[in-house]
Amino acid sequence: MAELLQFVITGITVGMVYALIALGFVLVWKSSGVANLALGQLVLISSWFTYGMLVQAGLPLWLGLLLVILFALALGWVIERFILRPLIAQPILSLITVTLGLAFFIEGAVSFIWPKSVAALPRLFPQQPVHIGTAVVSQEYLWAAAISLILFGLLSLYFRYHKMGIAMRATADDQRAVQACGIPVTKIFSMSWMLACALAAIGGVLMSCIGGITFGLVHTGLKAFSVVILGGLNSFLGAIIAGPIIGLAENLGGGYLTPLTWPGVREVIPFIIIIIVMFLKPYGLFGEVRIERI
Amino acid sequence: MGLPAGTRNYSYAQDMAIFRTKTHWAMLLALLVILFTAPLYCGNYWLSVANLIGITIIAATGLNILTGYCGQLSIGHAGFIAVGAYTSAVLTSRLELSFLVGLIAAGFAAGLIGMIFGIPSLRVKGFYLAISTIAAQFIIIWVISHWTSVTGGFTGISVPPASIGGITFTSQASLFYLIMVITVLVVFLAKNLARTRAGRAFVAIRDNDLAAQVMGINLFRYKLLAFFIGCFLAGIAGSLLAHWIGFMSVEHFSIMDSILYIGMIIIGGLGTTIGPIFGVLFIRLLQQWITSYIVPGLEGIFTLPAGFATGIGPMVFGLAIILFLILEPRGLAHRWQLFKASYRLWPFSY
Repeated sequence: MAELLQFVITGITVGMVYALIALGFVLVWKSSGVANLALGQLVLISSWFTYGMLVQAGLPLWLGLLLVILFALALGWVIERFILRPLIAQPILSLITVTLGLAFFIEGAVSFIWPKSVAALPRLFPQQPVHIGTAVVSQEYLWAAAISLILFGLLSLYFRYHKMGIAMRATADDQRAVQACGIPVTKIFSMSWMLACALAAIGGVLMSCIGGITFGLVHTGLKAFSVVILGGLNSFLGAIIAGPIIGLAENLGGGYLTPLTWPGVREVIPFIIIIIVMFLKPYGLFGEVRIERI
Repeated sequence: MGLPAGTRNYSYAQDMAIFRTKTHWAMLLALLVILFTAPLYCGNYWLSVANLIGITIIAATGLNILTGYCGQLSIGHAGFIAVGAYTSAVLTSRLELSFLVGLIAAGFAAGLIGMIFGIPSLRVKGFYLAISTIAAQFIIIWVISHWTSVTGGFTGISVPPASIGGITFTSQASLFYLIMVITVLVVFLAKNLARTRAGRAFVAIRDNDLAAQVMGINLFRYKLLAFFIGCFLAGIAGSLLAHWIGFMSVEHFSIMDSILYIGMIIIGGLGTTIGPIFGVLFIRLLQQWITSYIVPGLEGIFTLPAGFATGIGPMVFGLAIILFLILEPRGLAHRWQLFKASYRLWPFSY
């Protein structure tokens, strides 16, 4: 029973971080129609950057984390301005493959700058584990969940009340109408990329607090794809609901299926979910079913 | 298709001919003669590079049929190559079947697995399909690395050398002939596939699958056929790779390799026969150049940071993919067309 509770709590909390990263994907997809397959690499590079700031440069916590957010925003701006903007109105195949090229480049850059394969961040959260009922959970998980929840709240306020957030929602709805209203669409695109990178960075820092910095962080980004596929590509709500579901499935499956199958089953459960969703309900739980016309 | 001045087509056969004039035939013969006498004047190093290039051309041609002609993006190509490689490795080393059986079985096994993961393509496309092929890659590699009793798991599996009817292919030169014969065959078949009913159906599906369906093209059949052919060639390439290296482990088939295959056909030019060849040559030669000239050369002059040797390759390839997509989305094949046209028209550019 303690085991079950443990799996449920870690699953839901980790799933929230997945949902956070997935939100960045949905943001870019909705506003500019670009599928960002470099998500895992963005998570990876910002975690390593955090390591560089906090451990290698030895900066104080607040300054280091501020610089990480600034770095992520700058990265998002550069990616949108120099890679995606020349490709506006190109076929979807080019838009997908250019992010693959970006993924390749970032992975190379990471192993260029940080040749180590494993590192640990300094402890950002208190160390002693928390007892919830019979389960023992280390505090990182709870902090990660709390921070994700706060960010969900802030983002939904942003999209509801802030002028830029409303403009972003409008862009997702109809780009031409937005342009006719005098809103610079390219600015919206770069805003959405900057936000997506910042979310990936926060997700990366939270994940590397839990599990350290490894190449496994790329897989965290890939798990965010299973979140968006399950939740529906163009649904914020879908991502927030599907995140904990993926986290739960991963942890419960990893906990109870490993004796029945091979070890490491945990790592492929999100991908098996992708395939199942593709066969049963390809547009996800909350996704909009596209009706095509010739 | 530009023809030399004064050459006119009077029949359908002439119009469809790939090699139309005597010069074309002479150049083809010259190319084949140079290709098949290469072991006489190439060292083992360049022969092994050529072998890798040949194997990669087979795989990239498969991906090009699937992605370039039929428009179904697959980011799991390395996974399908792994299916072929391990099928062949297991059949020849554990069951001691002959190489040819392994080769054909590898093709069919990869083709069937490819068809299974291609089924979602009937309902989804674009990003959804890309993600499901990524999932395919991870599931395949996970199964291979954990099904220890058959595939050897993380420790790998050793593969006996290829042999056909008493001839054993162990040296690079003998493998060169084996691989090049298959490569030339595959390129020939791919060129002609594009001109058949199936090839034209693929192009119609790529351009607009709904319109293709309205015209009476059976999407179910042709999309799965594209997946089958593309992954069949991946399986053949995998089998050759297994017998060429002589040892298989899952490290040869990472997701980064899948991306690199996409990069090759993008750089070469999607939907052309010559494209994958150019793309593979570009990427593989660049790889060789970086690992065996640039890195040791620079190491002699400067003390390099520790991550330079591993990081520089992916950075250059990623940059090449991005730059080609932005600056020349039609790839090197288009440049080659422009070159041929200007050569034919020289000195008058009209």
